[in-house]
Amino acid sequence: MSQSFEVDYAKIYWTIKTGIPVLGDLNITETLIVSWIVMIIITGLCIFLTRDLKVENISKRQAFAEMLVETGNNFVRNNTGGTKFDKLIPFVSALFATSVVSNLISLVGLRSPTADLSTEAGWAVVVFIMITATKIKTNGFGGYLKGFTTPIAVMTPFNILSELATPVSMACRHFGNILSGVVIDGLIYWALGLASAALFGLIPGAVGQFLSKIPILGIGLPAVTGVYFDWFSGCMQAFIFCMLTVMYIANAAEEG
Amino acid sequence: MNMALIALTADAAKTQDLVTLVPWTFIIQIINLFIQVYLIKKFLFKPINEILEKRKNLADKVIREARQAQEEADSLKSQYENSLTSAHAQAASIVSEAQKQAQDKADLLVKEAEQQAASIKAKATADIEQEKKKAVNEAKDEIGSLAMEIAGKVVEKEINEADHRKLIDDFITKVGA
Repeated sequence: MSQSFEVDYAKIYWTIKTGIPVLGDLNITETLIVSWIVMIIITGLCIFLTRDLKVENISKRQAFAEMLVETGNNFVRNNTGGTKFDKLIPFVSALFATSVVSNLISLVGLRSPTADLSTEAGWAVVVFIMITATKIKTNGFGGYLKGFTTPIAVMTPFNILSELATPVSMACRHFGNILSGVVIDGLIYWALGLASAALFGLIPGAVGQFLSKIPILGIGLPAVTGVYFDWFSGCMQAFIFCMLTVMYIANAAEEG
Repeated sequence: MNMALIALTADAAKTQDLVTLVPWTFIIQIINLFIQVYLIKKFLFKPINEILEKRKNLADKVIREARQAQEEADSLKSQYENSLTSAHAQAASIVSEAQKQAQDKADLLVKEAEQQAASIKAKATADIEQEKKKAVNEAKDEIGSLAMEIAGKVVEKEINEADHRKLIDDFITKVGA
């Protein structure tokens, strides 16, 4: 048990030298490995849930899969007010599933890929491109540019700033919440480890020395705090990210 | 293998910064997201939506069939009702026809009976008249023969003046009648 607190950084397993100037070397980090694990989990779950589908007399598994699909459909349709954005449903569902599983995978001891800003930045940029594309599709390119000068031309720089703030805030909100969960979990484990070392160190002799190395107090309390910092925060942030995605795109289509 | 393991443990010691934007991770995560979209579409949305569509079609079919059956039943019902109504009318007309015929027949019978009765009565009257005539004639004959017998008896017997006179008068009266 180390005396100083260290945050759980994303480890770099391999470095592939690419020699590309701007991008630099390709680091296979913990983030990427766990992302792939998350993808395998989600896809495996999808395949498992949709095994031997039937029209009538369905199994509980199929009912659950249908519920998931209906939930995704309703989520997008209710928030955009129609079936105009049905093409978004798989995207939003994939985003939500990836986000939730990534957030909750920290419960099994892996490092969440969402505790890496690059992940959320990637997602936010994709969403930003979608919002912009929808705006241009709705109003035309001229209309899109003109939209920055409303209500008066002086507001243009602020409008551009607020436009850019959308992906930045989305990425940072999600990242910050998950990272704070990681940090707080780490702190709680560290503090409880120190506390149990101090407590059992009071026992004299070899027994005390042995027991003080095991963070016995670490059993129990992290499960309780994890309900909020992992479960609630993880699900909430995934929901907020998807909600914002749908809302922003729906709003972009309405502006005229 | 040994070399790789050493390299792995050596690399594993390295970590990236806590808050950092790594271009490669950024790009790979975007690609990952789209792969995930494709996979979730292929393995969850496509089969489930197909099943939902199938079920919807099935339900639509059942409803359509039920509606068709309903329409058929309705048309059959109206058909039955129509035929029932016409049957009622037919029955009524048959009954009225039969009643009329029966009435006619009864009337005819009564008339015939009346005629017959009248003829029988007439015949009976004629018979009675004839019988009466016959009886009268028979009585006359009887009376004549009686008178002859009485005359014979009277002739045998002693008649007084008064009896004689009376007898002659009676005789004259009778003959005159």
